[in-house]
Amino acid sequence: MLAKQTQSRTLHWLGRQLFNRDDPAAFFDPLLERINPMWVQEYTPARVEQIIQETPDTKTLVLKPSRRWAGFRAGQHVNICVDVGGIRRNRTFSLSSSPILWQEQGRVTLTIKRLPGGRVTNWIHDALQTGTVIGMGEAFGDFLVPEPAQPVLFIAGGSGITPVLSQLETMAAIDYRAPVTLLYFVRTGDDVIAREKLQALSARYSALTLNIIATHETEEHRYLCDEDLDAIPGIKARQAFLCGPTGLMDLARNLLHQRGIADTDIHSTFFSVPQADLGNEALGGQVRFSGSKLDIGSEGDATLLDIAEAAGLSPRHGCRMGICHQCSCRKTAGTVVNRLTGQTSGPGEENIQICISVPKGPVSIDI
Amino acid sequence: MKQMTEAQLSELEQDLNAIRNEVIADLGERDAQYIRRMVRLHRMLEAGGRVMMPFGFIPPVFVAATATLGIAKILENMEIGHNVMHGQYDWMNDPSLHSQTYEWDTVCTGDSWRRTHNYEHHTYTNIIGKDRDYGYAVLRLSDDEPWRPRHSLQFINYILLSVFFQWGVGLHELETEKLQRREISLREKLPFLKEFARKGGRQAFKDYVFFPLVTFPVAPIVLAGNVGANLIRNLWSSTVIFCGHFTQDAETFSEEECEGESKGHWYLRQLTGSSNFTGGRWLHILSGHLSYQVEHHVFPDLPAHRYPEISGKVQAVCQKHGIHYNTGSFARQYGTVLKRVLRHSLPEHLGGSSATTA
Repeated sequence: MLAKQTQSRTLHWLGRQLFNRDDPAAFFDPLLERINPMWVQEYTPARVEQIIQETPDTKTLVLKPSRRWAGFRAGQHVNICVDVGGIRRNRTFSLSSSPILWQEQGRVTLTIKRLPGGRVTNWIHDALQTGTVIGMGEAFGDFLVPEPAQPVLFIAGGSGITPVLSQLETMAAIDYRAPVTLLYFVRTGDDVIAREKLQALSARYSALTLNIIATHETEEHRYLCDEDLDAIPGIKARQAFLCGPTGLMDLARNLLHQRGIADTDIHSTFFSVPQADLGNEALGGQVRFSGSKLDIGSEGDATLLDIAEAAGLSPRHGCRMGICHQCSCRKTAGTVVNRLTGQTSGPGEENIQICISVPKGPVSIDI
Repeated sequence: MKQMTEAQLSELEQDLNAIRNEVIADLGERDAQYIRRMVRLHRMLEAGGRVMMPFGFIPPVFVAATATLGIAKILENMEIGHNVMHGQYDWMNDPSLHSQTYEWDTVCTGDSWRRTHNYEHHTYTNIIGKDRDYGYAVLRLSDDEPWRPRHSLQFINYILLSVFFQWGVGLHELETEKLQRREISLREKLPFLKEFARKGGRQAFKDYVFFPLVTFPVAPIVLAGNVGANLIRNLWSSTVIFCGHFTQDAETFSEEECEGESKGHWYLRQLTGSSNFTGGRWLHILSGHLSYQVEHHVFPDLPAHRYPEISGKVQAVCQKHGIHYNTGSFARQYGTVLKRVLRHSLPEHLGGSSATTA
């Protein structure tokens, strides 16, 4: 899934005959991983070269991916995979370094905040060591700096600064010729990620106006307001880039709309997985069968298999009692409850048995 | 079959669920390390066997290479492939160890196996007429099936089935018995036959064309060694599988008694229809822990290396409910399998007493 195909077609065909898998290059991974984890073929291996503590709850990982990685554009993100407690977990993070660092030194950085209860971010903060090799995918995302240059407004909150860091560094390096303003919201002064880097950037890159705003340092919380936007010259002509908590993004979008800025000029990117706001018994939700391009609403404790069949789909299945795993398929997003155990799944991509999985909020599956 | 009330069956279900839940709650690093160690060992054996094979003109090397490759295939089929395809490691979320996409080093396609084995055999275990694994539609192993003259020579069929086991398993889904009875047409089986030809061709190409060709000067030796390795795997896996359900005390069931059954009844059927054999650690690993067939049938999706650990608890549950826990030495269990094959070659009144109705 995170692999990149580089072999010729004939070799690939031969590999499939010999090793019975669609990614034959990965057949010897279990051995190679022991000899040198950077030789693994299944994903792009990336060695953790350095771990920098940015703030009490944010760390930056300096990674050296294998040279076959295809690179990225500023503002894009990557999937990384790590094994935590024997379980392969995939998560998406924004690249916080400039593509120039990759081109010159073969390095990239991810800046990761510890999320309360987050299995992967907590593991990264508590257990990940320098020298470890993690898996990486190719970069994706369209949160990209406009070309040719146009005036830009960044509104970032908390660790939503990470793709913006990559963009600002790139803009400074290519001397991006248009006004650039960053409104960066943090809870307190201690929570500013990459403060020195930002200050250095604004010192050497004259087009950049930097405005760091602490929201929780006064009795009354200080959120984004009209005055902040009024102070930005030529705001109507700006391309707006939003990245931060949902509250900030919604507020910013509203205020920008009031100023007549069209949705096409407002760009936003994922910041964190939306938490399903459901009580213990609130089951059901909108199910997206991505392979069939079908959206079906469900209520109560109907299983995904029942929902699919009621919608006229016939997914592969067997015993309908959680035994035979004939029906296992890929969940790409959303939370499900296991009907047998009552356990709630994580929000990320994973395999589930649809005959015993009940959606809890919106769910996407590969059927 | 032992008669139990619904209340007793429900208690049995709870007792077994408790064992299962305990393992599920404990799954993690240890299980991941175990299966990855097995995969690593398989890769080493496979590479070792293939590399040694061209030097098979030296007789001891030929024996070592053939045995190494044979054991590699056994390990991959039994401990890795079979268990991975049961979904035992799906929780690891590792695409290389996922039940729905895994493809193993044998003629039978993963998809066909998932249908015939995971679903049919594990759902309808030992129900005569529904579990097509019971005798593989070739052998008569219970008096519930009427005797026919062709059964008198079934021991020869048994030997042939064992020798060509991977092809037999690969063709299992063809349902030749239903084709003969004209319940289904060959046309319906075309998609299956296409898949069978693709995978069978792939396996034959690898072992009988590609590797002999790339080692051309010693092609006959490599070909012979590869045939030998496949034969070792065929005989061993057939033997292990026969010990799982066809021992003397393994029970059979009728469709009527299983209609609309509860989970507790399903558990009871798995416990009484399966049989274990004892042995050392490596015997268990090379049998894919099917030496713990009882535990496997009760919990087909728990990582197999856990079966020895929970065996004591399963036995205690059996004892509590007065259910026979069928186990014995490998030699004893296999002896009763051979006896069963021979006894049912003959009609009921000539075949001696039948233990299946006990």
